Amino acid sequence: MIGKCLGAQRCRKIHRTLRRCKVTVFCFVLTVVVLRGTIGAGKFGTPEQDFVEIRDHFYFRRRAGTHRVLEEVQTTSSDNEVASDTNAETNNYNDFELNKVLVDEESDDSKLDPDKPYSLGPKISDWDKQRSEWLKENPDYPNFIGPNKPRVLLVTGSSPKPCENPVGDHYLLKSTKNKIDYCRLHGIEIFYNMALLDAEMAGFWAKLPLIRTVLLSHPDVEFLWWMDSDAMFTDMAFEIPWERYKDSNLVMHGWNERVYDQKNWIGLNTGSFLLRNGQWALDLLDAWAPMGPKGKIRDEAGKVLTRELKNRPVFEADDQSAMVYLLATQREQWGDKVYLEHAYYLHGYWGLLVDRYEVMIETYHPGLGDHRWPLVTHFVGCKPCGKLGNYPVERCLKQMDRAFNFGDNQILQIYGFTQKSLASRRVKKVRNGSRNPIEVKDVLRSLHPAFKAVKVSSS
Amino acid sequence: MGQDSFTPQKRSSTGGGLPTTNNAAAGGGRSRVLAGMPRGRQIHKTFNNIKITILCGFVTILVLRGTIGVGNLGSSEADAVNQNLIEETSRILAEIRSDSDPTDPDEPPETEINPNTTYTLGPKISDWDQQRKVWLSENPEFPNFVNGKARILLVTGSPPNPCDNAIGDHYLLKAIKNKIDYCRLHGVEIVYNMAHLDKELAGYWAKLPLIRRLMLSHPEVEWIWWMDSDAFFTDMVFEIPLSKYDKYNLVVHGYPDLMFEQKSWIALNTGSFLFRNCQWSLDLLDAWAPMGPKGSIREEAGKVLTANLKGRPAFEADDQSALIYLLLSQKEMWMDKVFLENQYYLHGYWAGLVDRYEEMMEKYHPGLGDERWPFVTHFVGCKPCGSYGDYPVERCLRSMQRAFNFADNQVLKLYGFRHRGLLGPNIKRIRNETVTPLEIVDELDIRRSTHEKTETRS
Repeated sequence: MIGKCLGAQRCRKIHRTLRRCKVTVFCFVLTVVVLRGTIGAGKFGTPEQDFVEIRDHFYFRRRAGTHRVLEEVQTTSSDNEVASDTNAETNNYNDFELNKVLVDEESDDSKLDPDKPYSLGPKISDWDKQRSEWLKENPDYPNFIGPNKPRVLLVTGSSPKPCENPVGDHYLLKSTKNKIDYCRLHGIEIFYNMALLDAEMAGFWAKLPLIRTVLLSHPDVEFLWWMDSDAMFTDMAFEIPWERYKDSNLVMHGWNERVYDQKNWIGLNTGSFLLRNGQWALDLLDAWAPMGPKGKIRDEAGKVLTRELKNRPVFEADDQSAMVYLLATQREQWGDKVYLEHAYYLHGYWGLLVDRYEVMIETYHPGLGDHRWPLVTHFVGCKPCGKLGNYPVERCLKQMDRAFNFGDNQILQIYGFTQKSLASRRVKKVRNGSRNPIEVKDVLRSLHPAFKAVKVSSS
Repeated sequence: MGQDSFTPQKRSSTGGGLPTTNNAAAGGGRSRVLAGMPRGRQIHKTFNNIKITILCGFVTILVLRGTIGVGNLGSSEADAVNQNLIEETSRILAEIRSDSDPTDPDEPPETEINPNTTYTLGPKISDWDQQRKVWLSENPEFPNFVNGKARILLVTGSPPNPCDNAIGDHYLLKAIKNKIDYCRLHGVEIVYNMAHLDKELAGYWAKLPLIRRLMLSHPEVEWIWWMDSDAFFTDMVFEIPLSKYDKYNLVVHGYPDLMFEQKSWIALNTGSFLFRNCQWSLDLLDAWAPMGPKGSIREEAGKVLTANLKGRPAFEADDQSALIYLLLSQKEMWMDKVFLENQYYLHGYWAGLVDRYEEMMEKYHPGLGDERWPFVTHFVGCKPCGSYGDYPVERCLRSMQRAFNFADNQVLKLYGFRHRGLLGPNIKRIRNETVTPLEIVDELDIRRSTHEKTETRS
């Protein structure tokens, strides 16, 4: 048609140009598609998101509630827009992205003053006096609930956000059940923390502001027992020998030579320790905290620690290395009130213990707390809540299951059951129910040990 | 040169709706053109066609890779590691969930359930009250009343396997933290069960053998309080008025008119109830259990319940419907000792409550326990541990998070913090720190406020 208007030669030229344009356009479209497939194009999304959207659209047609939800979420950021489409109105938990929903309405308006040195809180100098007065005025809340039994608060915690690893929360749940069981048997209260009290002391340092707050808010608590979320009780019958520590304020698992002489960064472990409530504890926390604040301070401190401590790898300052450094350099000030315990496993490194559980069951019995039947099995380095730990995932999870069952077995046996094996989740009866359950005296004795007895008032 | 053959191809592909005539024309045209050309040109044309075919094939692969992915081809090192980790975790997860037992090859197979023998929870005990009294008098250091309050044991639990998705486990964790907080403030002990004590009574029926076992093992406990894993405490100050139930043995949230007049299947809720530790309770558990055993018994019982209770859908027998049916059919035997509580939310159905939290915080205060400040918010039907709930996931999870934060605010108040909003994880300070923290403790500690209440009452 065009040929008729312009002549054959011209026509051919135009045809050629058109063809070249077609190829150019084609290549351009191709580039755009490939880039979108690889990198994505912001709010225009990637082909994967298209796929998900189309699938959702065909499965769930109702979109009435979406608008209100979208409006609420839009106030935070536009990136959420695309994700909320996949979240909208689905009844299927597997399609859901929780992190897009858990956003705050109020923004963070607190500004950190970079020049002010970090402090955990206003300096208190007479905490012992304040506390003893309070205890006198409140005889219903004594700090000792038995002749040799102080009031203990076990403090542990985890992040308020879901774990990155899909099984992480399940293991946190099991670990919490394990702690509930031990603490119920031993008359210990639990505080499970899920709040970040101080953004500067995030990560492993988060325990410091928490411990200080708890000590000051619970004057009746005599000992605060910090325990990591990846530590489990494996000896349900062992009771901490409190009289041994009557002159100490801080009890940690460790060895004197390794801390004071060798300055070994794993000479002690801050995953499970006892801290007595008092002025000494507040002062220690103040001396311990300075290496903690996130950022330059923590990185620089990390370098100092790697230089000064034996075998420490290069990474930012952690609370454990900082404690070793503090004790090694200021021994005269703190050393006399610190008890480095190694007669039993207040902290037991899992690598040395988990393979021997069957041997222990055959040869020994609960109540020993040491290498024969460890009190605590601590899964250092496993990091079940995060994405990457220092050990293979399979070994960590399988062994955590075994440790949990090892501890749970002791509880179930009290009630007349046992796990079928350390790897199994099924239980079986070992003792048939009796017509007279109170005759099973041993059983009831384990459930009603002397240290749980209530003081009988002489009337 | 190659463009000549390009055009007819394109035309036939875009004009897909008009098949025969165009193709014939194009094909005819092509064959006419080809017949007239020398060999060299033919080869050239073939080459061009192949080039374009390869180019299109390449494009298709790239686009598909962008959409769906082609495994490890071309992915970077970090991706591969990540991918491996995800695969490994999924495999382990699948193994854990399937509960395959690698050991015990020589254990005898499980004995089949004989449908003719009646199921029992355990050997019949007839003198539990007497036995318990004797034990309590022999063990005065384990009284059933401590500081004037009856000893309560809170029982809850969840299945031993990981939930079908990670969100479920996360909310189970938050729920248990919530219960730990309430129980610490009120001196209640917790038992968290993760074992199937009786494989016949699995699922929602698992609480029956558990409650029985705990009653018999803890004679010092006066009340056993069962609470579902999807129920949250939302009033941290409210304490159950146990003195109101001196003459009763079972306290459950419910409505008499729904129960006796309408015979509704939701007349009461077994997600949160109290059982006194006594002979009557053992008898009730024995009368309650028969509809529970898995299999044909439970299915048949389900049909009976659907036929007799109003509004009940058709599914296997559940413990709640069975209890309603039992209390209705054997009213004279049991009802005099059952208290249907509705003055406060011993169980509070979440849908009517969660949107009003802001209003509650403005107008009311903790300690009321009723519709002004609900004691318990129970997320019935949400089923976060499974794959599918009865409600949209987003609504359920937002509501559960709001309930959690609402309750957590009451706990954090003592420490000087509260959550920034009811949805997010962050907290902010609401009170400056002082050098005399004990004045605040005196004012705000919930344990002391409830203790004073019991003292004035006695």
